[in-house]
Amino acid sequence: MSDTAPAPVEEVTRRGQARKNRRQGGVVEQRSTLQVWGKSALLGVILLWCLFPFFWLIMTSLKMGDRALNSPNLFQGPFGLQNYEAVFGQNFHLNLRNSFVIAGATTIICIVVGSLTAYAIARLPLKRKILLLSGVLAVSLFPPVALVPPLYELWRNLGLLNTWEGLYIPYTAFTLPLTIFILMTFYASIPKDLEEAARVDGATPFQAFLRVILPLAAPGVFAAAIIIFVLSWNEFLLANTFAPRNAEIAQTVPVAIAAFTGAVPFQRPIGTITAACVIVTIPMIIIALIFQKRIVAGLTAGSVKG
Amino acid sequence: MADTQIAPEPGTRAGAGPGGPRAARRKGLSERALARVFVAPSVLLMALVALFPVIWAIVISLFLYTRRQQTGFGGLENYTDALTSGRFWDSVWFTFVFTVSSVTFEFLIGLGFALLMNQAFRGRGITRAAILVPWVIPTVIAAQMWFFMFNVTPGFINNLLGLGNFNWLGQPGWPIFAVVFADVWKTAPFVALLLLAGLQTIPGDVYESARVDNAGMFQRFWFITMPLLKPAILVALLFRTVDALRVYDLPAVMTQGAFGTESLAILVREFVVRTPNPGFGAALSTLTFILVLGIGMIFVTLLGRDLVIGTEGEE
Repeated sequence: MSDTAPAPVEEVTRRGQARKNRRQGGVVEQRSTLQVWGKSALLGVILLWCLFPFFWLIMTSLKMGDRALNSPNLFQGPFGLQNYEAVFGQNFHLNLRNSFVIAGATTIICIVVGSLTAYAIARLPLKRKILLLSGVLAVSLFPPVALVPPLYELWRNLGLLNTWEGLYIPYTAFTLPLTIFILMTFYASIPKDLEEAARVDGATPFQAFLRVILPLAAPGVFAAAIIIFVLSWNEFLLANTFAPRNAEIAQTVPVAIAAFTGAVPFQRPIGTITAACVIVTIPMIIIALIFQKRIVAGLTAGSVKG
Repeated sequence: MADTQIAPEPGTRAGAGPGGPRAARRKGLSERALARVFVAPSVLLMALVALFPVIWAIVISLFLYTRRQQTGFGGLENYTDALTSGRFWDSVWFTFVFTVSSVTFEFLIGLGFALLMNQAFRGRGITRAAILVPWVIPTVIAAQMWFFMFNVTPGFINNLLGLGNFNWLGQPGWPIFAVVFADVWKTAPFVALLLLAGLQTIPGDVYESARVDNAGMFQRFWFITMPLLKPAILVALLFRTVDALRVYDLPAVMTQGAFGTESLAILVREFVVRTPNPGFGAALSTLTFILVLGIGMIFVTLLGRDLVIGTEGEE
């Protein structure tokens, strides 16, 4: 569990290192300040790598007219919000709604179902635990495309093509393994005495889970929820196969962005597409920045466990 | 993680809940029964939506179809058709080349990023936040973005590199480069994140004692960092490899599978939607399934069961 607690450890070693540097004095000290700044400058490379393409996206989306949009110069105007108006002229708000409902439903089902299972695996006496975990791991390795032909036939017969259900049901099955792995790690980090104390006080095992463990696991549940939401919001293969058209019904945001058509056939409308990308990306980046620590903890918890 | 420190408070409150503790105890489920009830929905859902379709795909793949109409039992005919078609092997080849090259670059760049972030003192917070940006952006958006950056108009990358009107995406041989590049951009930071978490579990005094023994920087990296980081590296490689083998979004948006960039996922979808042939599509998807799961299993065996299952499994 120590794997998921980076902050304090890092703080301690960092301070230790600084102290050591100070002890060495003179020339060494100077070189190490230089090193510190040099390394920080190298961090600039990482920042550029992560953020520059997004800057390019924003600049391009704000350009107006063919000449500006076809120029490689980022600062070639005129600039304006024309592209953004065009995006909403194509029913993009309906795509946003579909994605929101589908990703939201996936998240809720996954959290409810997954948190129960994770708790049972982490804490309760359960037979064939290893078999169960191997099964969960196997599902997490499944290529989603293996589901495309059979589910397409099944959904066609059940009338689930082009519906919200047709998407969030398979999404739930695919994100459950990750949910279970993340939450297992969080549950396991809660001291066992707490449940025992609750049990001594007369709570049933279920009450102990609901009233004691679940509130304590809330940060973990929250981290898992964000990650599930992002993953199902971004999914493209199943969405593009099971609900390829019609923003009014179930077409999701990624499918719409891949399918935007412009005034000129066979030419991708760069202005509209980049504007739609910015509209989707900005809230997601804000979420990522606000919940940065939670997301990182969740991602590493999910992967450290496999 | 610090949240667990506030633990004792709710614990003392729980027993005094409404309804009278003793009555509740008699009604409540035993731990064993509760465990089964808690596990059942997940198992059911995964069995119905993941396991059952895969098995059903094997059944479908044994039948012959004309468009969507079943025309008879074909045995392994769909499989022999698939295994003898050049298109299948082309997409296997693309998927493998894509996987090996993108995972290699992602690993090297991600390791570099992680080592940097682990050492630099200033500006670490902001970098750690920025590194999530490529992860959070939908792959389709990354694909569109890099499509336009590589495209002849507006020709941003050509302009940057002084390449004139070089056609990255519209001629054989080069699109795979653009696709791999886009994937490396999007996932190298994610790999860095996983490796950084691994680096931070290595205690600092290991390095201290190495320094006392006069181990150089390279020696410290090779004999301390790498062996201790091995579990994190294997996990990152497992995730990335399995994920890269499923590649669909990037080539589907950037090239629509043209010029030798048709991945297995694109190929399967073609026979479901574009030129429907459920039997052949199911045969292709079953082959893909075996391939991806097989490679995943090899990794899991390499990782060792104990690491994957964790300590809870022992109880």
